[in-house]
Amino acid sequence: MKAQDRVLGVEGITKSYGAQRPALSGVSFELRSGEALCVVGENGAGKSTLIKILSGAVEPDLGSVILGGRSRPSLKPREAMALGIATIYQDVELIESLTVADNIFLGAERGALAGLVVDSPAQEEAARGYLELLHIDIEASALVESLSAAQKQNLQIVKALHQDARILIMDEPTSSLGYEEKRSLMALVKDLKTRGIAIIYISHYLEEVFEIGDTILILKDGERVGIWPRAEVDVDFVIRSMVGRDASLFFAREKVVIGEVAVEVRGMRWSGVVEDVGFELRRGEIFGIGGLVGSGRSELAGLIYGMFRREAGELRIDGRSATPRDPADAIRKGVRLITEDRKKYAMFGIRGVAENVAVAHNEFSGGPVLDLRGEARLTAGLIEKLHIAVSSQAQAIDSLSGGNQQKAVIARWMLEDAELYIFDEPTKGVDVGAKQEIYRLMVDLARRGKCVIMISSDMPELLSMSDRIAVMRAGRMVRIVDNKGIDEQYLIKEFIGM
Amino acid sequence: MGRVGKARANILGSQWFLLLLVVIIISCVTGAINPRFFRVNNIVNIFEQISTLGVVASGATILIISGNFDISVGANIGLSSCVMAMLMKANVPYAQAIAAGLAVSLACALFVGTNSILFKAPSFIISLATTGVFKGIALFMTQATLQTIYGKFEGLGSTRFFGVLPLIFLLSLAVYAAMGFLLGRTRLGRRVYAIGSNERAAFLSGIGINANKLAFFAINGLLVGIAATMLLSRIGAAQPSTGAGIELQAIGAVVIGGTPMTGGKGRIVGTFFGVLLMGVISNALNMLQVSPYFQDVTFGLLIILSVAVSALSQKRGRSGRVGSI
Repeated sequence: MKAQDRVLGVEGITKSYGAQRPALSGVSFELRSGEALCVVGENGAGKSTLIKILSGAVEPDLGSVILGGRSRPSLKPREAMALGIATIYQDVELIESLTVADNIFLGAERGALAGLVVDSPAQEEAARGYLELLHIDIEASALVESLSAAQKQNLQIVKALHQDARILIMDEPTSSLGYEEKRSLMALVKDLKTRGIAIIYISHYLEEVFEIGDTILILKDGERVGIWPRAEVDVDFVIRSMVGRDASLFFAREKVVIGEVAVEVRGMRWSGVVEDVGFELRRGEIFGIGGLVGSGRSELAGLIYGMFRREAGELRIDGRSATPRDPADAIRKGVRLITEDRKKYAMFGIRGVAENVAVAHNEFSGGPVLDLRGEARLTAGLIEKLHIAVSSQAQAIDSLSGGNQQKAVIARWMLEDAELYIFDEPTKGVDVGAKQEIYRLMVDLARRGKCVIMISSDMPELLSMSDRIAVMRAGRMVRIVDNKGIDEQYLIKEFIGM
Repeated sequence: MGRVGKARANILGSQWFLLLLVVIIISCVTGAINPRFFRVNNIVNIFEQISTLGVVASGATILIISGNFDISVGANIGLSSCVMAMLMKANVPYAQAIAAGLAVSLACALFVGTNSILFKAPSFIISLATTGVFKGIALFMTQATLQTIYGKFEGLGSTRFFGVLPLIFLLSLAVYAAMGFLLGRTRLGRRVYAIGSNERAAFLSGIGINANKLAFFAINGLLVGIAATMLLSRIGAAQPSTGAGIELQAIGAVVIGGTPMTGGKGRIVGTFFGVLLMGVISNALNMLQVSPYFQDVTFGLLIILSVAVSALSQKRGRSGRVGSI
């Protein structure tokens, strides 16, 4: 096989989930055997959707995948595998209680005694051959459960190659590896390239991208910014291309007076997830927290709200200890959390809007017998104030649009006053109109002297709303900067630690 | 759609309205074939027969909406009615015997709830296990003998106001009303729906999950105790198998009444009509001289039918109309 053979073509792939901006729109590229294509982009740029389409997990709305000499509007997972595409996930797809050799041959066992039993010695012999060929130091008869994360990843690669994969998709393969393991993975990838295997490599770590990539595909907001040979671009160019948006995406917020320090978070710790995070908030301040997905931002919010068990850490409001035992305690002490995943953590999907809005009010004020009329009046007031589009207060919240669901969930915390409001991805999956309303509401809270924490993966949002921006990386709050004279490029560099 | 039109659509779409129609149709057909069906005595008889089931099903409604089950209520009734019968036989005053019976039922239900919470196990499985526990204790206590109370404590079960209104039926109506009020008008009721529809969201909204779940089991336990008392007075005897099978009838009535097994929604009025339908069908089959063995088959099929109806109406609801229940 020649090195320049095209093994995969992607033409005009578009995919939307619901009514929002498409997750991918009109993305095209080609992949040749022995080529390593690195895909880079921010959180939400469309990388995951691209992988899902290529591995057959998701069907695109438009466009086609050219594979095995045919143009295909969509792939089934089985087809993708049969046509030589293998996706290497972290820590899945291996059977822990079987040996390395058994896993490699799973589903295509070598038989003995007319196929009645598995010929383990023969399998282990063959497996040893593969492992040696690729210079992978794993014992073929070892149980998978005894392997390290890096070894498991190597094993998945071997297994994929055994199944005749010609294209390997690797999604953030080094995110949980140590330095040595990273080096050996890089070496393995280079070795695979010389064997004619094509690789789609997705990583936030630009030094890896520049080490192994032949071409670099940059995605932003679901669109292809461009695709370049590595030699033609440098790190700065890539970073600039990942960000840099239209001024129209920024929200011009009103500034409010910032007062005294009111909230102190000290030494929040959950080993391996959040490492000794502390900061202070002033009245009227909107404190943005940015970072990559998995950097521990939501977990920090959960610790402050008493949703997870802390190993250490304290919350003080107005100089008094307000460290919560559990969410109920946090609410009593003046903390509110608007969670990232509203369906999972906030909505009572099949219940009506009024019940959803009034749940905390009913729990913390009034008596054991409900004042249904009062509830209807309060709900009506919030529906009007936040412009929540509903047919009736009894309409199931599931049946509302994303933006209206989010506003209804936020409305829950507007009935009683609090001191600290934590918004985790407040405008995720929300239309532009609702977005603006949510921003105004946050500014309004600040104007009333409340403290607001806003966790966001949306750069324009982070930059237009925050008074200060904190950056989290691998569980640590590595930097807190005043939101003056900084831009998207600065932030993305901080997020990935360049 | 106008307000009147919408209200009409809500009533027509409600499971209880459908059930009422079915009850009327079955009654008319049975009455046409066997006019004795419409005799006052027979109708009063139906009401008496469904009273106990109604009380048990009311408790099951709360548990199922909250996402829990207690299928050991039958064994619970067996144990507590045996305790009451033995105490009454030993000439303990009725009030004290009843109090003891209620306490036993409450303790049994709390035992199910506590284990389910403590070991994070589905209450369905826990109560499957406790069925054996309660039954075994009752068998040991009674040495598997029938506990007859010979004419004692008949008042509750045999009183009929004006000769037509059974006291226990009124009692069951009071239970329905109380549970309807609890579910629709109280903070505790909202917690039932909240925990049943999204436990994590309930926790993050400040609702204590464990204490409230225990409260739901406790309410169920008290109702089971009341049902055991009613049953003992009506039958005049108790044995460990008293009440056996009532758990499935109760869950069946709840499901027929439109409460999904997945929890989070449902209304007591649906359960009332579910219980009524089961009572009417049972009586109609007797009137039509169908073999009693076929009654179980009929109830089984009825439950499947009602699950199918609610599955179909949910499908329809998703594609436009919002459920009214």
